[in-house]
Amino acid sequence: MKKRSALILFLILLAPSISRAQALDPGKMLKPSTDTWPTFNGDYTGRRYSRLTQINKENVSSLSLAWAFQSHATGLQSMPLEVNGILYISGGNQAWAVDARTGRQVWHFARPGMAVSGSNKGFAMWHDRLYLTTPDAQLLCLDAKDGKMLWQIQVDDPALKAFGGVAPLVIRDHIIVGTSGDTADLPGFLLSVDPMTGKIEWRWDAMPKPDDTVAWNSWPHDTNVVTRGGGMTWITGTYDPELNLLYWGTGNPHPVENGDTRPGANLYTCSIVALNPDTGKLVWYFQSSPHDSHDWDTVMTPVLFDGTFKGQPRKMLAQANKNGLFFVLDRTNGKALISEAFVPANWVKGYDDRGQPIPNPDKEPKPDGVLVTGGVGTNWQAPSYDPETGLFYVNSRETMGVFYLTMPGKSAEGWAGRDFFLGSKSMLKAIDVQTGKIRWTADTEGRGGQSGILSTAGHLVFTADMSGNLVALDASTGKALWHMYPGGSFGTGPMTYELDGRQYVVFPVDGVVYGFALPHAETSGR
Amino acid sequence: MRFSVCAPIGGIHVKKSALIACAILAVAFALSAQEAAPPAGAARPGGPGAGNAAQAAAQAAAADRGRAAFKQNCAACHAEDATGGRGPDLIRSSLVRHDKNGDLIGPVVTGGRADKGMPPFPFTDSQISDLVAFLNAQIALFDLHTRFGPYPNDIPAERLATGTVEAGKAYFNGAGGCSGCHSPTGDLAGIAKKYTPPDLEVRFLYPSGTPSTAIVTLPSGEKFEGTLLLNDGFNVAINGKDGWYHSWPRSAVKLEVHDPLAAHAALLDKYTSEDMHNIFTYLETLK
Repeated sequence: MKKRSALILFLILLAPSISRAQALDPGKMLKPSTDTWPTFNGDYTGRRYSRLTQINKENVSSLSLAWAFQSHATGLQSMPLEVNGILYISGGNQAWAVDARTGRQVWHFARPGMAVSGSNKGFAMWHDRLYLTTPDAQLLCLDAKDGKMLWQIQVDDPALKAFGGVAPLVIRDHIIVGTSGDTADLPGFLLSVDPMTGKIEWRWDAMPKPDDTVAWNSWPHDTNVVTRGGGMTWITGTYDPELNLLYWGTGNPHPVENGDTRPGANLYTCSIVALNPDTGKLVWYFQSSPHDSHDWDTVMTPVLFDGTFKGQPRKMLAQANKNGLFFVLDRTNGKALISEAFVPANWVKGYDDRGQPIPNPDKEPKPDGVLVTGGVGTNWQAPSYDPETGLFYVNSRETMGVFYLTMPGKSAEGWAGRDFFLGSKSMLKAIDVQTGKIRWTADTEGRGGQSGILSTAGHLVFTADMSGNLVALDASTGKALWHMYPGGSFGTGPMTYELDGRQYVVFPVDGVVYGFALPHAETSGR
Repeated sequence: MRFSVCAPIGGIHVKKSALIACAILAVAFALSAQEAAPPAGAARPGGPGAGNAAQAAAQAAAADRGRAAFKQNCAACHAEDATGGRGPDLIRSSLVRHDKNGDLIGPVVTGGRADKGMPPFPFTDSQISDLVAFLNAQIALFDLHTRFGPYPNDIPAERLATGTVEAGKAYFNGAGGCSGCHSPTGDLAGIAKKYTPPDLEVRFLYPSGTPSTAIVTLPSGEKFEGTLLLNDGFNVAINGKDGWYHSWPRSAVKLEVHDPLAAHAALLDKYTSEDMHNIFTYLETLK
C-alpha cells in the first residue's frame, strides 16, 4: 500500500498539468507554519492555537474588516482551510475557493442536480485534492485547482437517516472519514480511504465483534442490539505522529434514550478511541459516558499537548465533554489524570479506577420525566488550548434537562425519548489543565456561546457570544478587548493565518465569511 | 378515517398517545413518497390540502390492511411491530427503507429467502402495496420519537402525574414559595386545561418568553423604563414605556434589571424529580 501510494505521489509530482505551487505540501501537516491552516483544526493537535502575534492584546481594539465573502448560502458550518493563499469553504452540496487576501471568489462547486442546502463542517486537503462529506452520506473528492469533482463514494446509507458532515482528516496517504445519524438505529464507524481512488483501505467499527471480549460483554445478547449501533464519528479527530495514534470521539449508543434495551457499558459508544491509522486497529479506549442514555456524544475535539503533570513529563489529551465533564488523559494509554465536572453534573455517581464516570441509574430517562444536569455542557464547536497560559478554553452551558422515555420496552429503536433543556446559562470557561479547576469564567450577561474558539500567541481568545457578537478576550482574564456584531448565527469558529506580513482572523457567520485584520497603517513596515 | 391506522400496535406501548401520533402519521404517509423525507418534526397535521388528505386517507386504509396481513403472515418471525425476532428487524432494514412502491419488498415476499428460511408468500401486487404502506407507517412512528418530533406532547397526564396532590400542594404553599406569586383560583385557575401535559410541566419548571424589564439611568439623571432587549456588556437596548426603542453604550448608563423569572430560575436548581412529579400532579387538578 505504502509503495503504491509513493508511486502515485511520484507520478503526481511529475504530472505537468498540476500546479505544485498551489498544492498542499504534506510537510505542512506535521509542522504547520503560520501562513497556512491546512486541516479542520489547523494542525493535528486540535489546540486551535496560533503562534501569530501581529494581532495582540495591545492592538486588537483596532481590528477591522479587511473583506467579506458572500456565499449566498445560509448557516455555514464549515471551518475554512487556507493553503497557499486560497481559502477552501464547504457547504452541504456545494463549495467555494476564495482568495484569502481579498475575499474574492476563485471557484464555486455545486453538485449537479442536487439541492445546495445543508451544511458540512469543512474540507480535508491532500496535495491538490479536496475531500468533503455530503448530506446524502457521500465522500466527494474535488480538484482544488478548479473545484471539479474527481470521484465520489457512498460512505453510509441515507435511507437509514445516515448523513455526512464531518470534515475528513488526512494522515499521510489516508483520508479518514466518519459518519452521522441518530434517527434510526445505525452503527458508527471510521473509514480510511485511498486519496487517489476512493478505495476503502480499512474500516473500524464502533460496535465490537465477539472476539473482543470486554467490549462484546458490555452489551446484552438476548437481542441484536449490539449490531444496531450508535457510536457515530461525526467530528474530526486528532493525531500524534510520534506515537502514530489517531484519536477520535464516538457518539451515543442506540436506541438513544432507552438504556433498558442495552444493559452494560455499550462499548465503544461515547468513547475516545486511539487507533493505529495504518490498520484501523484499536490501541486503547476511554469511555467518557458508559451506558449513556442522554445523547452525550464524546465527539468533542480530543486536544493533544505535552508537558509536566504533577512533576512528571506526560503526553496528554484533554477533552471538555458534552456530558459536563473535563478529562485529561495520558494519551499513551488512555488513563485519566483528571476527571472533573466543569458544569454541575448530577448524573455522575462517581468514577472508576480508570477515571471513567459511573452513571447514576436514577438519572436515566423515565416515562414521567427526570431532572438531569451536566448536558449539554458544551457541544462540538471546537475548544482551544493555549500552551502559554496552560488554559483550556471551552464554551460551556449550564441547563436543567428534563428527560422523558417515550418508547419504553425492549423493542424500542431510534431516539425513543425526548428531552428539554431549561434555563440555559452560557459561559466561556478557562480550565487549568494541571488541576481541572476553572481559572476564570467570562460570564458577563450573554458572553459565552456556542461558537468555536481560537487562541493566539497575541494573548487573545477569539470566539462569539450568545448575543451575536464576535469577541476577542484577554487570554489570562477573559476581559473583552474587541467586539463586533456581524448580524448572523454562528455555525463554526474562527481561524487565522498570515500572508504578506498581514495576519487575518477569518470568521464564517451564517452565509458570510468575514476576514479581519489590523488597518494597513499598523501592519506596513513589518 | 385517519385514525384507522392506529389499530393496536403490539410491543410499542404507546397506547392513547398512539391515537394522536396516528393523525401525524397520516400526514407522514403523504410525505414518505418524497425523495428525501423531512425530519419527523416537519410532519405536523394541518398542512396538506384536500387532495393530500384524500391520498393520506387511502394510504392509512392501505396501511391498516397491511397491518392485518402482516400480523397474520409475518409477525411470527418479524414481530407485530416489525422490529424483528427470529427474522430481521424491518424498521431499520436498508432494503425496506430503499423500497419504492414494493420494488424491493415485493420480490422478497413472493420469492422468499430460502437460504434464510423464509418461505415464499403468494401476495398480489395490491397486497404488497398494503404491506409497504404498513411498514412505512411503522418507520414513521419510530422516527417520530426523535428530539425534534412532536411526539411527547401526546404524553398522557396520568403518565406524568406520579406524585401526590398533597405533596405538590404542600410544596406550592411551602418550600417552593409558589403561592407568593401564584394562586390556584386566580392566575392558575384552569391551567391544566390550557396546556398539554408535557407543556404544563416544562412551563412550570421554567416559563419562557417573559422578558426582563429594566430601568436605565442616564448621567443627567433622566430615567428610562421598559422591556429589556439587549444587555451584552457592550450595549443596552430597551423597548421603552414611551413606545420607542432606545439604546445606549453600556458604560454610559446605570442599569437595574428585574427578571420576573428569577424565582423560577432559582427553583430550577433545587427541584428534585419527586418535587416535579408532585407539583405536576397538583397542577393537573386545576381544571
